[in-house]
Amino acid sequence: MTVVVTLPPAPRAVPELECDPGGIRGYGADLLAASAQVDDLGTFAAGEARIAGWTGLGATAYHEAIRPTGRLADAMSLALRGVARRVDQHADALQALLERRTTLAGEHDHLVTTIAGLRDRVAAGTEAEAAAIQAACDDCAARVRTYETDLDRWATDLMAEEEAMREAFARVQTLDQVERRYGGLADPADGALDSMPGSHAPPSEVKSWWDGLTREQQLAIVAASPGSIGNRDGIPPWARDAANTVSLDRDLADWGNLEDQGVLTDDERQWLDNARAAQDAIAAIEDGTDPVTGLAVSTTLYVYDPSAFDGDGAVAVAAGDLGSAHDIAVTVPGFGTDGQSAPYQADRTLDLYEATRHVDGTGSVATMFWIGYDAPDNLPWEGEGWDAAGVAGEGMASAGGDRLADMLDGLRDSRDGGPAHVTVIGHSYGSTTTGLAAHDHGIPVDDLVFVGSPGVGGDTDSAADTGVDPDHVWAGSNSRDPIADLGNHGWVHLESVLGGAGLGDDPAEDDFGAIRFEAESIDRPGHLDVGEHSNYFNHDTESLYNLSQIVSGNYDDVLTADPVTDPWYDSPQDPEWDRDPTAPDTDGKP
Amino acid sequence: MDVVPFAMGTTARSWDEQHLDLQAAAGQIAEAPTGGFTAGVSGAASRFASAWQRHATELGDTAEARADGLRTSAADYVRTDQGVASDSFLILDVLREAR
Repeated sequence: MTVVVTLPPAPRAVPELECDPGGIRGYGADLLAASAQVDDLGTFAAGEARIAGWTGLGATAYHEAIRPTGRLADAMSLALRGVARRVDQHADALQALLERRTTLAGEHDHLVTTIAGLRDRVAAGTEAEAAAIQAACDDCAARVRTYETDLDRWATDLMAEEEAMREAFARVQTLDQVERRYGGLADPADGALDSMPGSHAPPSEVKSWWDGLTREQQLAIVAASPGSIGNRDGIPPWARDAANTVSLDRDLADWGNLEDQGVLTDDERQWLDNARAAQDAIAAIEDGTDPVTGLAVSTTLYVYDPSAFDGDGAVAVAAGDLGSAHDIAVTVPGFGTDGQSAPYQADRTLDLYEATRHVDGTGSVATMFWIGYDAPDNLPWEGEGWDAAGVAGEGMASAGGDRLADMLDGLRDSRDGGPAHVTVIGHSYGSTTTGLAAHDHGIPVDDLVFVGSPGVGGDTDSAADTGVDPDHVWAGSNSRDPIADLGNHGWVHLESVLGGAGLGDDPAEDDFGAIRFEAESIDRPGHLDVGEHSNYFNHDTESLYNLSQIVSGNYDDVLTADPVTDPWYDSPQDPEWDRDPTAPDTDGKP
Repeated sequence: MDVVPFAMGTTARSWDEQHLDLQAAAGQIAEAPTGGFTAGVSGAASRFASAWQRHATELGDTAEARADGLRTSAADYVRTDQGVASDSFLILDVLREAR
């Protein structure tokens, strides 16, 4: 007797989906930045373009003529902004469709394999097994039907999304369409900005104001007035990033255009260089790969002001999501840092991110370099020397400490959900800045780290003076680093000996009371070498390994070191000088 | 009739800056990358960018025309009104197009 077993139908393959959501977001970002330019013209036409005191026929004609120009600019700005937002949503939708496609392709492959197995069972099966084989075939056929339904739905959703995007483009293709749709409409950003807290309002008040806005108002401000929120403490990281990205894209286009035309001023040249450095810093981090997920590292442009500090520039870029990360590290650089140092600092930031993810892949982390204060331009023995550089004194560090404290308060207040574990790492003169911020303001951090410190501020005599639990005050000091040897030792206080020069106590000394961690290099020379001052964030060093353990809160895994001592009868003694350095793995690479 | 040629000159320069900014915006729109879109959408994205490059360019040209018009009006006034002749060396500087 012949038994007929009906095999399941072969499932259709999933069509290819060729697209790049990241590239689509780039298109939207360009439109959004352009919309900000157009919006500026609308604002200008309604305000500064009006000439008080000019009367007569010519004046009347002029003022009547600029009104429609302003109205058109406002409408164009709203239209362009709307399309830019729709493009962003389109990128999100395609990202989701790509992920659904991956799932469908996996199911397709599984079904094909299952059907091949069933075919083999049919070929080799006995009459007694027929019923069981048929049942398995029926189960598989049901799964094929479900798959086919999902595949049809996926294809329908893709077509619908494509059609919606095309319609969004077509709706405002001509200026007549723009006028009909947006002419005379109020910008949602205007009313929201009117209620913005004043410049001295605390971050918590700014956060409350922001949270009280509608999503439409928030997005409108990002596009129409990015400068008003991009660097404002209390604004959440995602919004600061979005606003600063609009500003950066606009600046690159503006000053790039002036450069092409040969009319760039010297100041604008410096600002453009700073903007390009910020762009390079972002690219450097985004080129990185998360060692746990294998995905590209995301960035947050948290501070962007290319003309700050007489053109030195201010910029802070984070690797990872500052808004949601459980562990956050903020690095404060020192000597010789300005806006154009951003790519170099970005490399360190990425190294710290990768190392922290490598040593503790269970949590989430964001690491950020913060060039948010006016740092000394050069090392003490370079350029114009100590005093001219402003290095020897604490003035620049003190002003920087004020800004750092404000920024940390703002970062704390702007986050939703549970508080992050925050570590601030002051390197070089940045450790002086960080020490002063802690001493003078009581910064809201969980761990305070000084590396390569020339002193942590004249009034900070011990870890307890920082306001942070001394069990969470750390010092990394390479025995060959001459900058780390500049701090006060024992009873000798340079600021009193040198008439105000000197930057305070060495945090690696026993009297200070911080926990010292190992920070030697395996290829260190036998003498002091300024090159060792720049090794603290290098992969496969004791320093980066220990920094990443502190950042992730794994304190028991920190490799501690004995502190520097300064006996009255001799010069300072560093027990690390003779220890054999190690090279702990921080990136999983040979 | 009151004429304020110095203010007209500085405002003209602001219109010039708007013109330059819109030139930049037009370039930015034109160079917006369309390669990430699917084949079914990239054509629409290209057409949109092309149309809006023209719109931004035209708006920039309008700004430039406002600047030129203001400069012309102010210069005419300076030339014909003897009362401001003594200040004309100051005014003429601001009535020159800086960039």
